[in-house]
Amino acid sequence: MAPGSDRSLSRRDSALFLLCVALSIVMLLRPEVGNWVTGVIRVSVMRPFLWMQQRAEESRTSRGSFDRLRAERDSAVYAAQFLPSLRAENQRLRSLLQLRDRLPVSYVSADVLHQSQPTDGRTLILSAGKKAGVRAFDAVVSAEGLIGVIRVVDGERSLAWTWTHPEFRASAFTIPGNVFGVVRPALELTGSDQVLQLRGVAIRDTVPTGTVVITSGLGGVYPQGIPVGTVIGQAAEETGWERIYLVRPAANPQNAEQVLILHVTRDTSVARAFTRESAP
Amino acid sequence: MIAIRADRGRLWTVLGMLAVLHFAVRPRIGYPAAAPDFLLLALMLFAIRSRPGAAALAGFLVGLAGDAVTPARVGAGALAHTIVGYFAAWGRAVFFPDNLFVNGLVIVFGVWARNAIELFASGPGVGGLTMQLLVWSPIQAITTALSAAVVLVVFQRWLDIRLEA
Repeated sequence: MAPGSDRSLSRRDSALFLLCVALSIVMLLRPEVGNWVTGVIRVSVMRPFLWMQQRAEESRTSRGSFDRLRAERDSAVYAAQFLPSLRAENQRLRSLLQLRDRLPVSYVSADVLHQSQPTDGRTLILSAGKKAGVRAFDAVVSAEGLIGVIRVVDGERSLAWTWTHPEFRASAFTIPGNVFGVVRPALELTGSDQVLQLRGVAIRDTVPTGTVVITSGLGGVYPQGIPVGTVIGQAAEETGWERIYLVRPAANPQNAEQVLILHVTRDTSVARAFTRESAP
Repeated sequence: MIAIRADRGRLWTVLGMLAVLHFAVRPRIGYPAAAPDFLLLALMLFAIRSRPGAAALAGFLVGLAGDAVTPARVGAGALAHTIVGYFAAWGRAVFFPDNLFVNGLVIVFGVWARNAIELFASGPGVGGLTMQLLVWSPIQAITTALSAAVVLVVFQRWLDIRLEA
């Protein structure tokens, strides 16, 4: 190949690279553009792939036999005694089944379609969408507690922000209900602890370690009574008018395989459904 | 001409199989953060056989698909995959891609670099970067490289490579 043509090919490579980088940066700086583009991709190009993943998830988590499991759970427990991973999965399913029985509100159950990106867990693709009655701002819970909130709803799938998302916020209070605050993720560049912060606690209030934090229902997104986590100490960072407490989350979105999406009307409490799980 | 078309066809068949593996088999493998990333593997296999521009474009498209299903910060995945695709193709001149060990190393570094760029571009998160970059990313890089070794050995003829020891 002539050197001139090689140079022009090389220039074209650089131009294509810079164009792709520029487009990526535009999407990073203008999230509304990126969200529109990815929304279109999700319901078109990615649809058959997500369908495939959903079938794979269903077969892995045995959701197809979810109802059968309810009838056979005792024998399944016995069989699973010898297999730790099966036992753990079975335990999660049993907890979820028990939670479903206790929930006083309507809900939709969904599988979590985990992805390979390192940011998986900040958002989750769920296998239920508009057709199943899912709406934006429905709360997402697992048997252990709060996972997040639905933000985008497609026909057959929905997208949830979890409590690890940098913009997640939830109004919460401590049991027995004397200290209110706002829960948000404790963002950090280094470190490895996945914790939440309970912020906005009045400087006159103190919260002992081990106190359970649950959603307060204020704001109308999360119903009252979903376990958020347990206080593990006070953050070093503190302003003049508020105390900040570190909260170990009740549920881990990265481990969630099945979740419940709650349809809650204002002023509904689901505290009784979680009583056993939220007990310290 | 027919031979070139056949080679391209085989390459696309392998890439298609990896895409299917990513969505149909990967969820069954285990913990998502540690399971091999077959889409990135497909991108790397394509990149080390293509010009840097085409590899960057392919990376952008793969990244965009990733952003569509993990939109923690849209654009981060596209940026990370574009850079990894471009430099994998560009690095072909420096590395010797027909060596199984070097192919594995390129893929290990590619997965780790993709995760690092994506995490930095996504901003600080819960748990910080330490666990992701020092624990989960290396594990995912190794499982992806092992999958690459299997693919390269099984499809050696289709991918038209000579794997030297």
